Amino acid sequence: MLPTPRFSCDYEKVYEPSEDSFLLLDALEGEQKFLQSFFTSKLTVVCEVGCGSGIVTTFMIQNNIPSEHAIYLPTDVNPWAMDSMVETASLNNCCTEMLSPIRTNLTRSIRRREIDLLVFNPPYVPAESVPHMPAESEAKEGDWLDLALLGGDDGMVITWKLLDSLDEIMAPGGVAYILFCARNHPERVVEIMSTRGWKSELTEHRKAGWEVLSVYKFYR
Amino acid sequence: MKFLTSNFLKCSVRECDRSNDNFPLKYNGEKCQLEQDESLEFNPEFLLRIIDRVDWSAVLSVAADLGNSSLPANKPDFTSEDLSDEDMVILNDLHTLLIKTNIVEGEMSCRNCGHIYYIKNSIPNLLLPPHLA
Repeated sequence: MLPTPRFSCDYEKVYEPSEDSFLLLDALEGEQKFLQSFFTSKLTVVCEVGCGSGIVTTFMIQNNIPSEHAIYLPTDVNPWAMDSMVETASLNNCCTEMLSPIRTNLTRSIRRREIDLLVFNPPYVPAESVPHMPAESEAKEGDWLDLALLGGDDGMVITWKLLDSLDEIMAPGGVAYILFCARNHPERVVEIMSTRGWKSELTEHRKAGWEVLSVYKFYR
Repeated sequence: MKFLTSNFLKCSVRECDRSNDNFPLKYNGEKCQLEQDESLEFNPEFLLRIIDRVDWSAVLSVAADLGNSSLPANKPDFTSEDLSDEDMVILNDLHTLLIKTNIVEGEMSCRNCGHIYYIKNSIPNLLLPPHLA
C-alpha cells in the first residue's frame, strides 16, 4: 500500500482530507498499473479539479501516477486551496518542475481537449442549491467550505457541469476519475454518459459512515 | 507559474471560446516579474516529450511578450536517434525557458475581450468576477 502524503491546511478555509479523499487515493493506487501502460511514454497532462488541500495531486506526483512524464495542473476556485496545494506538495518534497496550480472554475481556463488524466472529487452533497461564488472582497471563510461540499439537486449540479462538457475538456484518449456518493445515483449517470459514447467502470467503492462512496472511471 | 503553463491557459470568458484569440493570452512584459528556479534539474527525456506536445506558436508569442525573440520560428526537430551537442544546447535553453522560468507576479489579457488576469505569488488567477462568470 502506498503511503498517504502528509498534508497541511487551515480547515476553516480548505476542505479537510476525509474518507472521500482517501477513497480516491485508493482508486488511483489500484489504477496505477493500468494508467502507466495506457499513457505509454507520452507526456500526460494531469488536472485535478478542485484540488483543495492538494493531497490527491501530491499523491500522484509522489507515486509517478500515471508516469514520470506528466505535468500537473490542479485547479480550485478557493484561493486558500492554492496555498495548501503548494504547501502540501512541498511538505512531501513534490514541488518539482511538474506542478503548476491554476485558480479557476473547474477546467474553464485550460485549453480544450488538452487534459489526458482528470481527477475530480466534486461537491457531491445534495443541497437545496449550489452556493454562489463569493465576490473576492466579501468572501467569508466558511463560504469556501460550502462551495467544496454542496452540490445542489441530487448533489450533481457541479458534476454535471463538468460531465456535460467532458468531450471538450478531455484530450483524445483521455481518462477521467470522478467520485460519487450513492445519493448522486451514479448508475444513472453512467447510463446517460454511455448514450454520449463514454464507457465507464466502477474502480472503487466503500461505505463511509452513512455514505456509500464510489469512484468511476470514464473513457472513450 | 511556469512559463510552460502559459501553453495551456486560455481566457475564461465563455464567449471567447468562439474566437481564436482566446489563446495564448497576452502577457504584459512590463508587469511580469520572472525568476529562474535553479533547483529544477535538466531532464532531456522529459523535455523532448514536452516539446513534442507544446503549441510552438504560443511559445513564441509568450516568449516575445516577455522580451525573448531569439527562438527559432519553427519547432526544433529532435527526431534523429542520437542527440548532438548542438541539440543539447537547444534543449538546455528550452529547459531554462519552459521549466525553470517562473512568472512570480504579472498580468496577462485576452486578445479577444481584453479581460485582464493576474499572477500573484506564482499562482495565475483566472477566476472571473461574478458578473462575468
